Amino acid sequence: MIYLDSAATTFQKPKTVPSAMTAAMRTMGSPGRGGYPAAMAAAETAFTCRSALAELYHADSPEQVVFTMNATHGLNIAIKTLVPRGGQTVISGYEHNAVTRPLRALEAETAVAAGPLFRPADTAEAFKQLIGPKTDAVICCHVSNVFGFVLPVEEVAELCRRQGVPLIIDASQSAGVLPLDLKALGAAFIAMPGHKGLYGPQGTGVLLCGADTKAATLLEGGTGSASIQQEMPEFLPDRLEAGTHNMPGIAGLLEGVRYVRKRGEGAICRKERQLAQLAQEGLRALPGVRVFGQPDLLAQAGVVSFTAEGRDVESIGAGLAERGIAVRTGLHCAPTAHRTAGTLDSGTVRVSLSDFNTQEEIRAFLTAVKAILT
Amino acid sequence: MEHYLIVARSVTYAQRMQMALTRAGIRCQIFRAPRDLTDMGCAYTVQIQATDLTAALRVLREASLDPVQIFLEQKGFYREVKT
Repeated sequence: MIYLDSAATTFQKPKTVPSAMTAAMRTMGSPGRGGYPAAMAAAETAFTCRSALAELYHADSPEQVVFTMNATHGLNIAIKTLVPRGGQTVISGYEHNAVTRPLRALEAETAVAAGPLFRPADTAEAFKQLIGPKTDAVICCHVSNVFGFVLPVEEVAELCRRQGVPLIIDASQSAGVLPLDLKALGAAFIAMPGHKGLYGPQGTGVLLCGADTKAATLLEGGTGSASIQQEMPEFLPDRLEAGTHNMPGIAGLLEGVRYVRKRGEGAICRKERQLAQLAQEGLRALPGVRVFGQPDLLAQAGVVSFTAEGRDVESIGAGLAERGIAVRTGLHCAPTAHRTAGTLDSGTVRVSLSDFNTQEEIRAFLTAVKAILT
Repeated sequence: MEHYLIVARSVTYAQRMQMALTRAGIRCQIFRAPRDLTDMGCAYTVQIQATDLTAALRVLREASLDPVQIFLEQKGFYREVKT
């Protein structure tokens, strides 16, 4: 299989990831649940993983690194901490349902800063026009999961700091690829999956909490700490980690993070951009194909969406699947992004890359698309 | 041998203490807190040698790590110490 759906989850992982998961199942109990070796081995792994992530994302303390099930879980905590029922938010025009559905559930008044694709300055300006004194929270993805558009989170963060509005960043597509500095950004929360660019297994995610953020609980339960009290502990990470930890997942995530740190986000990003460029050039050469991308990829990560005139995107996806090539088609759980880009009716075919893809795979993909369209 | 037990609010906090102390060259180990030491229910302690208390407290203070309580352990008995 040629796997080009890494924006959903990376399929190929470093070999150390499954090995660590297997070892965790054989050797680890639950962190904070005992002083015996298996519990302490779990605690050691969890702490090492928190510490590695705290260093990677410039959190002051490993306690600000909360393990979640996925980015959606983290975003729900963040949104439900900051946005009261009927509250006011400003979001980018490229948000995922992981953001918009919790906001709908809260009946929030949501203004969309809908800048055009690949024009970060316009997006920053759109945020500037909408953020006001009554804004409860600003939510911005770092990279669009549909188009790979790199949004100007630094500028948005500066606007938020200036206005004293808390910021939530959805780093689902950028984690492991683009740098983020929690402290410098002053974000209240940064949510990310463990199973995409950080190369951990499914079922892992991370919520980075700003040093001054007091998070609301989404779940209550046992934490292995302050057990006598019936309220959830006030301190992190325990406050947000009720119940048994996914230790095989965390052990795998640690190895994924180690891989990213060893390879370097810059090197991974460069490789993915080169492959994306190759894919875009090849697709542009095909008649009737509309590619959503920038030739220089300055404001684009390793995600390329395209449509083909007169062809249902699902039929292209099916044709590729028959040829052993995995891509994502449709709306990608992000109707807001498609509405902004004008592709809500058609959807797109999305090619999303990882550090494990090769130029040969991209060439095989292009040959397959050509065969499907002709 | 006499030890001090530094009670931490959680295992993660105890690990942060351990990291700070180890980096400063102070040997320590994490243990579950004996049940009658704390009214928190479940807790972890960082055990250090008695001779290291002053240095350890300085390291923890510099790292903004606050002990919940500190106990002196002598022949299996514990006595809370105020610093």
